[in-house]
Amino acid sequence: MRTSILTLVLLAALAFTLLTLASSLGSVHIPGNDQGYEPVQPINFSHRLHAGEMQISCLYCHAGAGRSRHAGVPAANVCMNCHRFVSAPLGLVRAEDAQAQKEKREPRRMVSPEIQKLYTALALNDQMQPDPAHKPRPIEWVKVHNLPDFVYFDHRPHVSAGVDCQTCHGPMETMERVRQSADLAMGWCVNCHRTSNQTGVAGKKVQAPTDCSACHY
Amino acid sequence: MPENTSKHFWKSLEERDADLVQIASAGDEFPEDLTTLRDGFGRRDFLKAAGFTLATAAMAGCGRAPVQKAIPFLVQPEEITPGVAYFYASTCDGCSAGCGLLVKNRDGRPIKLEGNPEHPMSRGGLCAVGQASLLGLYDSTRYLQPQEQGTPTTWEEADRAIAAQLQTVRMNRGAIRFLTGTVTSPTSRAMIGSFLRGFADGRHVSYDPLSISAILDAYERTHGARVLPRCRFDRVDVIASFDADFLGTWISPVEFTAGYRAGRALEGEHPRMSYHVQFESRMSVTGSKADRRVRVAPSELGLVMSQLAVRVARKAGAGISWSVSDSSVPVKVLDDLAERLWQARGRSLVVCGEQDVQAQVLCNFLNHLLNNYGATLDTERPSYQRQGNERELETLVRDLRDGKVAALFIHGVNPVFDLPGGDELSALLKKVSLVVSFAERPDETSALAHFVCPEPHRLESWADAEAVAGTLSLAQPTIHPIGTNRALIESLSSWMGAPKPAYDILRDRWQASVFSRQKKERSFQAFWDRSVHDGFAEVEPERAKLQSFKMAAVQPVPGGKAPAAGAFALVLYPKVGILDGRHSHNPWLQELPDPITKVAWDNYACLSPAAAARLGVADGDVVRIELGAGGAAKTLELPVCVQPGQHEQTVAVACGYGGKATERFTQVGPRWFQAKLSVGENGRVGKNVAPLAELRDGALRYAQANVSLVKTGKKQPLACTQDHHSIRVPEKLALPGGERREIIQETTLPVLLSGERGAKHEAHSGQNTEMWPEDHPSPGHRWAMVIDLSACTGCSACVVACQAENNIPVVGRDEVRRRRAMHWMRVDRYYSGPDDEVDVAHQPMFCQQCGHASCETVCPVLATVHSEEGLNQQVYNRCVGTRYCANNCAYKVRRFNWFDYPREERLQNMALNPDVTVRSRGVMEKCTFCVQRIQAAKIEAKQRGEKLSDGAIRTACQQSCPAQAIVFGDRNDPVSKVSQLLRSGRRYAVLGEYNFQPSVGYLKIVRNRPEGEGERHNG
Repeated sequence: MRTSILTLVLLAALAFTLLTLASSLGSVHIPGNDQGYEPVQPINFSHRLHAGEMQISCLYCHAGAGRSRHAGVPAANVCMNCHRFVSAPLGLVRAEDAQAQKEKREPRRMVSPEIQKLYTALALNDQMQPDPAHKPRPIEWVKVHNLPDFVYFDHRPHVSAGVDCQTCHGPMETMERVRQSADLAMGWCVNCHRTSNQTGVAGKKVQAPTDCSACHY
Repeated sequence: MPENTSKHFWKSLEERDADLVQIASAGDEFPEDLTTLRDGFGRRDFLKAAGFTLATAAMAGCGRAPVQKAIPFLVQPEEITPGVAYFYASTCDGCSAGCGLLVKNRDGRPIKLEGNPEHPMSRGGLCAVGQASLLGLYDSTRYLQPQEQGTPTTWEEADRAIAAQLQTVRMNRGAIRFLTGTVTSPTSRAMIGSFLRGFADGRHVSYDPLSISAILDAYERTHGARVLPRCRFDRVDVIASFDADFLGTWISPVEFTAGYRAGRALEGEHPRMSYHVQFESRMSVTGSKADRRVRVAPSELGLVMSQLAVRVARKAGAGISWSVSDSSVPVKVLDDLAERLWQARGRSLVVCGEQDVQAQVLCNFLNHLLNNYGATLDTERPSYQRQGNERELETLVRDLRDGKVAALFIHGVNPVFDLPGGDELSALLKKVSLVVSFAERPDETSALAHFVCPEPHRLESWADAEAVAGTLSLAQPTIHPIGTNRALIESLSSWMGAPKPAYDILRDRWQASVFSRQKKERSFQAFWDRSVHDGFAEVEPERAKLQSFKMAAVQPVPGGKAPAAGAFALVLYPKVGILDGRHSHNPWLQELPDPITKVAWDNYACLSPAAAARLGVADGDVVRIELGAGGAAKTLELPVCVQPGQHEQTVAVACGYGGKATERFTQVGPRWFQAKLSVGENGRVGKNVAPLAELRDGALRYAQANVSLVKTGKKQPLACTQDHHSIRVPEKLALPGGERREIIQETTLPVLLSGERGAKHEAHSGQNTEMWPEDHPSPGHRWAMVIDLSACTGCSACVVACQAENNIPVVGRDEVRRRRAMHWMRVDRYYSGPDDEVDVAHQPMFCQQCGHASCETVCPVLATVHSEEGLNQQVYNRCVGTRYCANNCAYKVRRFNWFDYPREERLQNMALNPDVTVRSRGVMEKCTFCVQRIQAAKIEAKQRGEKLSDGAIRTACQQSCPAQAIVFGDRNDPVSKVSQLLRSGRRYAVLGEYNFQPSVGYLKIVRNRPEGEGERHNG
């Protein structure tokens, strides 16, 4: 008797779970696989514009990739190297210039709403001076490429071996918003390590480890 | 097999005398029954429930992982790259020895302390206390702001109130006293001095809870000045130690261990080995390393020294005519020692740990006769590591009693807890109108203080130290302070009316009085920068004004009163790790098994096996120690720990336990239905024995001549790890031949030097490899380690270093008792010989990274497999927790996560090493040879385009070892240090006969004894 009650309860629970799951069938995927993850970021930063159109080197902003385990998200002071001067798209600035000429006045400084968020984070006013009314507040980017806690990935050997950033991160120079393009699963890593050991990377012979302890410790 | 295997090694008396009844628990890795699957819930029910769980778990896993944020700096400091560790030089504050530190910082927080290899005293070593002091920083029970009458206040208010009270004291010409421990910081000492000069009657009184004031007093008698010459064990050939535990807890153990090791360098072209005799009543770490250890009752120590002095004086031709009675020490031993000391005059050393001025005067006399001053006892650069003066302490207590003291400042000590008259003192403190404590965390004394002006942790502030004259060390902040605490010198400067930050005070003083003492640097800025960078500066020492030896002070010491028949002498001693209790809040140190007794989490009454048998008690039986009689009797109930090698009429108890700071440990360990608290009935860990000590005739005394022991019938099982994870087969249980496991191998110096039996034992290991084909070659690196058992003192610094590096959790007393301590590295301690004259061997034991690993063959999910570099990898994410590997491991070095061991408090998570996975419940783990360090070094070498150099990788245990007993490296490189040591004639593999092909080699223990007296093999 006890057994049959257990069977019934478990079956009912299973059916209920299946039903709930069926409603979200479109988004079902293997646990831990976040391929295609494309979260909204606090600032609509465009890699297409910066890396694609402007041809800025990846390592200019992600300098950590050559020096540290983490490639790192650039600090706001790196953005300011350019955005101290560039505060709005060229079209907008030209339009304001034309308008100002027409109205015979000094052109106003144009600040695009997205770049304004950067200035706000640094608590700068529109004269690029510290604004005591605001507190500086770091920008909370949403991390796209996540590895589980038991995996230790180090950017340095990959960068120094000459692996292109796009090999793992996909065509960043075309992405308006960053999207995880590979599944970042272990089989994907190991396959690349194995092939690279045979074919080399960028014309050089490499020794890519395939030991467990290369990444798991 | 060598012929003299009559003496066997054993880990505990239970194991040695084990009979068949105890067979079940003797060698089990997992002693629990499988009692969960019992009646009512059958196999089918189980499968159903399991299937359901699996299905829902899989579905639950189908959601997205939680959103993670990446928050960069707003303005990134130039020298910081997120994810890269950087090191700051600093000075350890764990005790007053002042060892050099390198603080490993990751992303703005210190995560590991390492010894500074360039430091002239500690030479790269760091003891267990130093390693663990990191956790003191991440301690939310610390005071984080000033307190007034127990409630938090602000610095402005506290300063205003204290200044007002000080003004009253000044007006009334009241007495102000500054009570401290040893202050090694010259800046603090000077500041205290100038603060007190602002008052009519100000005095600085210092004492050490672990006092050696008798030595200082003895030098005052024999040399006319209270100095503490620095012992240079590296220059010594013959050591006679009278109860001085210089390798464990005495004055400066890391420095002494490094020196002692230098005097015992057996590898290389000119092997050198000092001869060490230890006279002691209890088994100490130092005694465990002695070439000859003589058990002496505490009351007889002075007498034995007198006997030795007579013999040495005769050789030196010093005309003394003492009639010294005989002691229990055989005349032959004394004659031999006197002869050896005399032969090695100028290269010998006599040290004494007794708190008895007469005995210390004799010790000085012996060193004087042996021409050791200026040679092995450095008087040019004496030590400032202990400065306590208990005659002044007695005066202070008297003044307190008379109500003379108007204001009392207490820094660095906890007198209500660590002095004998704690209760009286707490009553006296209530009568003082202003008591200010500088305690870092709540303790017995700060609870009575009107104001607590807490000091920051050493890693949060600027400080300096002059532990040895002429060697000045600096400490610098390595983290943004967690609270608003203020350094002592800052508080003093603001009460003197000129508030300045600690950095300015320090720098100004160095500019004024340190810079001129050196000639290397022309500009102060360069000198300061170099000192901050190096963590220390060597400058001209201030001359100690020593007079020539005063013979008149020397008198023989008669034998003390022996305890009455059936009674005991009580000896209080400090334990490695806990010391005087200043670190008793530290869970790493509480869980560290004592090097000798292997007990964690408690103090206990050590008794010799004969005494225990006489009383009819065994390990864990509670006895009552009674001191005195009638109404004034002091009693203390403690569990017994039977300790071979201890004097029969001595009971030894560790001090530093039972403090208020241990009340926090109600929280430690996993919570489950069978869990028991880590604290005792008193709500604390262990019992405070300070009331049994004595402050008498100007010295704190840690021995009582006459106490009685009464069996209470109560039981309190000890968290003793000595039989856990045993790789021994108890002798009486083994099959014929099976007991002959040569786990410990010993030889004597003459045998080693004659070289005839060098590599003999290599032949023992079986060469039949059929079971494991050679299917995993190591073409590149092949990592290996060598442990020199002769150098290892068992100090257990490596255990805590490993714990800090590898995120090893603390499990609490109850779990330790259940054999679930998580230390990846344990130091096994073996005895050999008869109960009263045991020899001790220490053997660090951890994953041997076997070439033919028994764990790998049984893992059903390939969670433990071999790497190309000879490592035995443990892949946590593959492990399903069958525990087969641990069962099959011959070395018993695998640890299973029975729980998700949460840190006792969240702040401690800041100390986690981000390069090492925090293992979850149900996963097996073990030593990895610090693979994260291997990977980091390999990547860095590759970045630079260089070959990985020998010594570039130092494992955490190796880095910390004060004796340099651990060497790690690549055995595929024939010139690496580890390869050379693996070729040593002393090298053997533990359980080599099973052909596991371990990557760890052990070097035999060498005892400096005549041939035939010491060669023993485990059998």
